[in-house]
Amino acid sequence: MSNIDPITLEVVTEGLISVVREMRATVFRTARSVAIYEARDFSCGLFDAKGQVVAQSEDIGSHVVPLPWSVESALNEIGDNLEPGDIILMNDPYLGGTHLNDVTIIYPVFEDGELVFFPAVREHWADVGGAVPGSMSGTATEIYQEGIRIPPVKIVERGVINKPLMEVLLSNMRVREERLGDFNSSLAACRTAERRLSELTKRYSMQTLLDCVELNLKRSEVRMRENIRALPDGEYYYEDYLETFGPDGFEPLLLPLNLTIEDDELTADFTGASPQVPAPVNSTLAVTAASVFIALKSTLDAKHALNHGSFRPVTVVAPEGTIVNVGHPAPAGSHGEIRKRVIATMLGALSRACPELVSADIHRTSFHNLIGGIDPATGSEFVHYEWSCGGNGGFKEADGPSAMAAIDWGDLTTVQPTEVLENRFPLHIEWTQLGLDSGGAGERRGGLGMRRALRLTRGNAVYSLLSDGAIMPPFGIHGGETGAPVDSYVIGADGTEHHFDSPGKVGGHAITKGDTVILQSAAGGGYGDPLIRPTRDVWQDVKNDIVSIDIAKRVYGVCFDADGNVSEDETKAHRREISAARPSLKTVKCIKDHYVASGPSKRRTIRLHPDDIERASLEVGQKIELYDKVGPPLRGWLVADSNVEPTTVPVDERGSTLLGLTVDQYVMVRPLYTPQVSYRSAPVQ
Amino acid sequence: MYSLKGSGNRPCLNSIMIILGIDVGGTFTDLVLHDAQTGQLRSLKTPTTPPAFADGVLNAISNTGLPAGEIGSIVHGMTVATNTALEMNGARLGVITTRGFRDVLIVGRGNRTQLYDIKAVRPPPLVERARVLEVDERITATGEVYLPLNNDHVASACEQLMDEGVEAIAICFLHSYANPDHERRAAKIVQRALPNIPVSISSNILPEYREFERFSTTALNAYVGPKVSQYLGRLSDSLAKSGIVAPLRIMGSNGGTWSAEAMSAEPVNAMLSGPAGGVTASIGIAKLLGLPNIITYDMGGTSTDACLIRDYEYNMTTEGHVGMWPNRASQIEIKTVGAGGGSIAYIDPGKFLNVGPRSAGAAPGPACYGKGGTEPTVTDANVILGRFRPDLALGGEIKLDEDASLSVVSSLGDQLELSPERMAEGIIRLAVARMTATVKEISVMRGLDPRDFTLFAYGGAGPLHAADIAEELGITRIVIPPMPGTFSAFGLLTADTRYDITKTRLTKLQDTDLAGLEDILEPMRAEARDRLHRDGFEDDDIRLQVYLDMRFVGQAFELTTPMPDSPRHITEITEAFQTIYEERYAQKDSGPCEIVSFRVVGFGNGPSIDLPVKSDDAKATPTGIRPISFESQFVDTPIYQRAELPTHTIISGPAVIEEDGATTVVPPKFTASVDNYCILTLMREGA
Repeated sequence: MSNIDPITLEVVTEGLISVVREMRATVFRTARSVAIYEARDFSCGLFDAKGQVVAQSEDIGSHVVPLPWSVESALNEIGDNLEPGDIILMNDPYLGGTHLNDVTIIYPVFEDGELVFFPAVREHWADVGGAVPGSMSGTATEIYQEGIRIPPVKIVERGVINKPLMEVLLSNMRVREERLGDFNSSLAACRTAERRLSELTKRYSMQTLLDCVELNLKRSEVRMRENIRALPDGEYYYEDYLETFGPDGFEPLLLPLNLTIEDDELTADFTGASPQVPAPVNSTLAVTAASVFIALKSTLDAKHALNHGSFRPVTVVAPEGTIVNVGHPAPAGSHGEIRKRVIATMLGALSRACPELVSADIHRTSFHNLIGGIDPATGSEFVHYEWSCGGNGGFKEADGPSAMAAIDWGDLTTVQPTEVLENRFPLHIEWTQLGLDSGGAGERRGGLGMRRALRLTRGNAVYSLLSDGAIMPPFGIHGGETGAPVDSYVIGADGTEHHFDSPGKVGGHAITKGDTVILQSAAGGGYGDPLIRPTRDVWQDVKNDIVSIDIAKRVYGVCFDADGNVSEDETKAHRREISAARPSLKTVKCIKDHYVASGPSKRRTIRLHPDDIERASLEVGQKIELYDKVGPPLRGWLVADSNVEPTTVPVDERGSTLLGLTVDQYVMVRPLYTPQVSYRSAPVQ
Repeated sequence: MYSLKGSGNRPCLNSIMIILGIDVGGTFTDLVLHDAQTGQLRSLKTPTTPPAFADGVLNAISNTGLPAGEIGSIVHGMTVATNTALEMNGARLGVITTRGFRDVLIVGRGNRTQLYDIKAVRPPPLVERARVLEVDERITATGEVYLPLNNDHVASACEQLMDEGVEAIAICFLHSYANPDHERRAAKIVQRALPNIPVSISSNILPEYREFERFSTTALNAYVGPKVSQYLGRLSDSLAKSGIVAPLRIMGSNGGTWSAEAMSAEPVNAMLSGPAGGVTASIGIAKLLGLPNIITYDMGGTSTDACLIRDYEYNMTTEGHVGMWPNRASQIEIKTVGAGGGSIAYIDPGKFLNVGPRSAGAAPGPACYGKGGTEPTVTDANVILGRFRPDLALGGEIKLDEDASLSVVSSLGDQLELSPERMAEGIIRLAVARMTATVKEISVMRGLDPRDFTLFAYGGAGPLHAADIAEELGITRIVIPPMPGTFSAFGLLTADTRYDITKTRLTKLQDTDLAGLEDILEPMRAEARDRLHRDGFEDDDIRLQVYLDMRFVGQAFELTTPMPDSPRHITEITEAFQTIYEERYAQKDSGPCEIVSFRVVGFGNGPSIDLPVKSDDAKATPTGIRPISFESQFVDTPIYQRAELPTHTIISGPAVIEEDGATTVVPPKFTASVDNYCILTLMREGA
């Protein structure tokens, strides 16, 4: 291996990446569903015989990074029986998949009879059967309602397609021609890869190729180890929640993360995560582990090409049968939610280990909206799948970008053209715009969420939403504030508004001609205290209708004169006032259990003396957060307790780790999120 | 005698026979002059004079020493449009758009171009959100009026934009490709209210669907517009003052020339004004040599442009970008990679060797320029390998500083424990790999085998690396055209005039017939002819071609399919599309297909130019010998001067052929020869 010179290494690496780039081009151009060609909801990757990522290009992290688990389980299931000309098809979340819609083709490539590479394509098929058009139901209770499950199977055996099997699969999916088109585009991409790999082998010899692959993996590993070593050793903690709704209403499910950094290794331990539930908030070990990697890669090693080596110094612990390692028969459709929540816990914990490398929380969910039915104009089925992305978290150098794909999404297109949708579906897009005041306030503001109104123009359809973050909004860090949550509702043709009992989770809500679905994606959290945001930036935001003049004054403390210019003196005084009025409490260590039951899981309470509750204008039962100048907020539900010493707040061991407390430190307290403006005001005046 | 072009009557040039091609580059303004009477062809370089580029152009003209009255025509390749966009110093823009869609230009497609970077930001929009104003109006996807245009809203938007001091306005309404009426009416109101502000209308600039891409192209047009018209206005004035009455024509991204007036109105079509000239000239030379399939490879100081030509035709694309912004104007499909002679080699924290896209540019330039460059560049690597004559004057007065190259390349090599020579080879190999990947994108990714093509290498650095690139791609024939250093300017001389007329009209083939297509196409043909008549072309010199952007029903991306000549049945159109589809994606497909856009291209024949012919059967004599490194070994290599090479004499590599502005490396295993036109051809042995 040592005889590979650095130049050959680069040239071969470039060659391998261009194989994947070419696969992408092929899928993109030959696919027949909007999700793929407009939104690029697919990924290609090149894997070695052990299933390690060798190369990728502009692909989606949420697809590519978990793929090794699929390859591994395919090898476990079929391994010894693979022969040239075989092609594996699968989507089973329990066997290394993500969600059922992500259908994966794994294509073994042989050289001299030996298995050497797996090009693989993972495409989001717009429908794989199940309870609702588009398959992703917010109210599924079992995986069977989420579509047809395909364990690793040879869809092509020694070059011959298994037609009966294909027929069974297509018979269980909506818009079957589109699905067949999706399948063919994956196949075309893998065939392209096979041709190119064979050319590369002729040029450089298989051994050289494999040596280069291993060298690249090694390099990435060394780099990641160096990056981890640079972080202070220690235990870090963050806890967050997934959202479910029981008979008594909202039931948050706990997702705790114990992050241990020791020398050049890192362990992310999710022990204590909520048991899996009969609701679509569970996901797979592949997704959980991939999300840990994506968070690390994006904060510590953003500038380099991704391969498997970076994952080697990292251990992920996710107990079986929990929301982060789901088993049969629970729904597994929530990869987009678990992924973003795992990333959030990583950002929260890392914000204490490396405060300047992370951003505040991103938009919480993949926000899968589906409108489907039969278009009376054509008599054909249609499924419109829309995942309007939201805001990203602010970070040291800049405001979080508004309505932009998050780090787990790669170059995914998230705004589908109105002109394409209106040409293709019985939909009229009334407006698409950024949500005023939605971005989490901060020295660096969180990015804005996106709002869109879609009206059904013909016939009947059903609306489904598989999402999260409608109740627990994105958090800010280092004193930055919460961003706006997810929402969706329907305005009937007669003007009546229909809101859902389970916000963020809707399964097959019937809509009819003239009904308008309003979608609102979450925003990003703020970074740093809004009171130190440069007044010029606030002025700019007000001018651009990013922040209202009211919020500018109340939250950022910026005052304007009659001409709309910042009045600096008044601002200074006003900011001092706001700062002085912030209630703060002395922390006291407390070993009592701070959690109470919440469905099958539990949630944190924060106990305060009734006088303090009154002083801080809080309400019992309200979601509040304790926060400090550095690090993430500690969130919990407010309980009045007259045994608590006034002006203090008891904090348990985990809470102390989260807040980075030493002894008897002061922290500030505030409500989690009060919609500070009427967020549902008419979009345009 | 062969001509570079089919003979055209050149209506604008009947009496006066001197044409100038002037190409403004980052460092030099190149001028090539052709005198049809004497057959003389001459090239000269003048320093580019930013920001007053027109001065450099006039300097170049006055350096020719020609009396103003003798100049018959000037064809110009300019960089003003591209630079304005890339440097983000365009107009203060205002946009008027459909109510509810203010953020189309701000948010784009909501994608992320930097993967796995939590600190990624979106590139700044061309227009600030505060200057995007919404008005009541709505057209449906089928072109019907859903909500009438509110004139008062447009009028009050004008007032607001005037208060904001905008310098250009773009009008971008939804579905205007299907019905431009609202946009046109809004434009009239704006023009009345703000007569001095240029207005760009999306249905004029790009009557195609997908709002972000159309709006972006329109906004780009408006953004660069004032700078471009100012520049062209100033240039025309200065020419007039110097007594030059010759018409000024501008090279367009579509490979044809435009009148300065037409280009001022739609400057988004000038984004590839520079590289387009080289591509069209290559086609001329290719025809002369009978080589229908070529790949052009134009390597300059900061970047390399590659273009694939089949059957003497380049591909057109509507998927260009300028910086991060989509530019969907119809343009030659030219791929650009940030690797050129000035590209900097460095080792990143992960110990990866990288070359480019950062470039030393003209200042400080490569270390060997001795102007303060401290980082090793591709040019420095070439110096170490002995490829340049030590006393070579690089870009005018600059003399080669070999020690400086050695020092910067050595220090990079130390980090990888490589000798300076091996490091230099490495830098070149990696740059070649990057450029090769670009060529692959336009060939292998389209299912085309580069080995079936001839490589046309030009640009200051093209002939240096052509053999390496060819070797990497398995290409066996390389052509170095005459005047490779100023070849793009040369290309301007021969370019056709070209206007592209486009119309989006979703048409399922099963629902129409040939007559139905003609109803759409005939008015488009008339418009193309009309524009060419206005430029002085007569019918004999006008050619029209029809293309259909087609796809299978259900797909979203189209392939531009040439309309078969006088088809007898509509199925011939389907067949033509299926053939192209299979070629492009290496996969057969079938099913109903549809036309998305109709394209009529009107050409006005450009002038024909005869290359000077010489014949000489003397033996090739080297003008010197120096050690040059090939495959890690320095070999005493003969040096030839291109101008002195006898025709049809075969020189075996290793050899180096020098000329003004370019150095051609002929490695071992390659041979070189020049023909009667002094066109240099390299062949790989065994081919």
